Amino acid sequence: MIRSFARASIAAATLAALSVPAFAHVTLEVQEAAIGSTYKAILRVPHGCGTEATNVVRVQIPEGFFAVKPMPKAGWKLETVTGAYSGSYDNHGTTVTEGVTEIIWSDGELPNDFYDEFVFRGTFAGSLEPGKFYFPAIQECATGEADWLNVSGAEGGGEPAPSLTLVPAAATGQ
Amino acid sequence: MSHLFIRCCMALVMGLVLAMGTVSAASAHAQLLSTEPADSAILGAPPAAVTLEFNEPVSPLAVSLIGPDGVPADLLAAAKGSERITIALPKAMPNGTHVLSWRVVSTDGHPVAGASIFSIGSATATPTAPSTDPAIAMALWAGRTLLLAGLLLGVGGAAFGAITRVPARSDLLTTALAASGLVLAPLVLGVQGLDALGLPLAAIGEGRAWIAGLGTSYGATTLALVIAFVLTVLAVRITHRTARLLLAALAATTGALALSLSGHASAAAPQWLTRPAVFLHVASLLFWIGALLPLLGLLAERTAHANRALARFSCFIPFAVAILLASGVALAVIQLGTPGAQWLSPYGYVLAAKLALVLLLFALALHNRLRLTGPTLAGDASAARHLRQSILAELVLVLCILALVAGWRFTPPPRALALIQAQAQAPAAAPALAHLMEGNVMAMVLVSPAQAGPVTLDIAITTPDGAPLAPQSVAVTLSEPALGIEGLQRVATGADSSWQVNDLTIPVAGTWRIALTIRLGRFEQVGLQGELAIAPGP
Repeated sequence: MIRSFARASIAAATLAALSVPAFAHVTLEVQEAAIGSTYKAILRVPHGCGTEATNVVRVQIPEGFFAVKPMPKAGWKLETVTGAYSGSYDNHGTTVTEGVTEIIWSDGELPNDFYDEFVFRGTFAGSLEPGKFYFPAIQECATGEADWLNVSGAEGGGEPAPSLTLVPAAATGQ
Repeated sequence: MSHLFIRCCMALVMGLVLAMGTVSAASAHAQLLSTEPADSAILGAPPAAVTLEFNEPVSPLAVSLIGPDGVPADLLAAAKGSERITIALPKAMPNGTHVLSWRVVSTDGHPVAGASIFSIGSATATPTAPSTDPAIAMALWAGRTLLLAGLLLGVGGAAFGAITRVPARSDLLTTALAASGLVLAPLVLGVQGLDALGLPLAAIGEGRAWIAGLGTSYGATTLALVIAFVLTVLAVRITHRTARLLLAALAATTGALALSLSGHASAAAPQWLTRPAVFLHVASLLFWIGALLPLLGLLAERTAHANRALARFSCFIPFAVAILLASGVALAVIQLGTPGAQWLSPYGYVLAAKLALVLLLFALALHNRLRLTGPTLAGDASAARHLRQSILAELVLVLCILALVAGWRFTPPPRALALIQAQAQAPAAAPALAHLMEGNVMAMVLVSPAQAGPVTLDIAITTPDGAPLAPQSVAVTLSEPALGIEGLQRVATGADSSWQVNDLTIPVAGTWRIALTIRLGRFEQVGLQGELAIAPGP
């Protein structure tokens, strides 16, 4: 047990030492969630578009994350776009077939030198597969954008979308 | 104790393998806001300096200026400032197109790289590929010779040691060879980086040399070689026969794979043929050459076990040689083309010298097998002595052949020369087409003309079935890691499925990497990558 832990730590340390750190990206604070669980997403926005302040933050809600409620933010206008889901999900006995597909915080002002967080919650459907789950996000500024849309996990194709790892329900002991 | 050591090593390998897959793009926090002179500017007189302006403080990691003669100059020492980096340029600069390639790191540790082009007088293309410093060339040649020897004798030796029991001395030698390979592989990578950046040998201690080396095709080869050497060291230490066989086989496979990841032969078309051919060529060599050192050790023992091992080797070796010959002939035919004047090139001479040595080696091997193996197995002491001397001679020949093969790096094969000549002689070089695909997006990129100098890119974006797509934006990044040129970035203009880049000058001939970032919808973006062969300018 101790050995396999030591082995895993050495592998992780080697990995960490050789990989580029990712803290300048738009990321999620909680990096893991169980399939079928409720998740509070905290989107961390560490900078603007180049030097410009961020005025709009858009987040796409992909299929499989339902019963979504964004948290209002002082100084920002909050809107959601709703639409039909391709599947149907069970929300405490009620079947849901449509809901939020995009969240927009707009009319705000987040200067490049400052940091802020944008929060929403929802539920991961029990039918999702374990692995990476991406929430593509866009920062809009006065003249430009910063896009976080790469959901391939590979190099090229732009900056990585904020993501977390979905694990089977039992794995987190819930 | 030794178990824990082995487990730690395995964890290290796991980490390395994981890291190979996750080393992420040099994605940006720091952003370049402007350059002075502006990108692609044509100036009347040489500028005194180039200024790069960023959105936050950065420190330069590497700055080089590649002139119209293709010779890179290291300007890192001339780069001053933090948010505004001013790079003082040399006094005497020839007319023509210059490329300023830079790599900086921002305060959060993110490296960001790019390149800027400006021309004095008029835009030209660099006529020749950058030349190599003789000291670097020597270091590269010696390093690669030793590395190849370490691979064949170390990894190959472990493979033989896994098939049959060998003396402890042979195991020790194999470990030493693999360990030296473990040290040499990253060193050669550093020298490769120095070559790419045009730096002197003295700059080997600087991190940027290794970063540049990793960016070349040799980066993947080095990582694979390091894994092969680590597996070899593990295989020799393990006493469990099956585990040892498994590890040694894995080491040999990784080692053969390593060499098929880079080099002239693997780069030739058709790749479905050349890459497997290189793999088989190296794998059969590992089997043959790797057996020589342990066989020497066994013959010194003169036991019944040694005789059995020799008989077994003698039984399997014809298959390895057949594969070696078939793959070697296939590769030589592809590289040389049909008989003609191009056979009398430096590449042809090196190949001829190699073939002469190989013939000698085969003659020796045949003599060993037909004349000496039988009597040795029968217990003839003088035949056994002769066999050992003959194997030693084989080893010396192998080292000579490896030295020749390592020299190939400096002689482009006739295949490549013919391609460059054909493109240079065409009145206006024919446009080149790159075909990129990822998921359900396909892009056809037409570069006209396909030669160094000002070019136009026409990009058609469709589904794999050819149905037009209408993306919102298309961004293009061109880079040439082998020459140490970082990404030249352009935003394409256009609408629907047809996009263009007009303000682009490709400064040097070479195999350029093209990356497209295509925005299909508000939240949908896809990245496509490919290569463009750019001929020397007129």
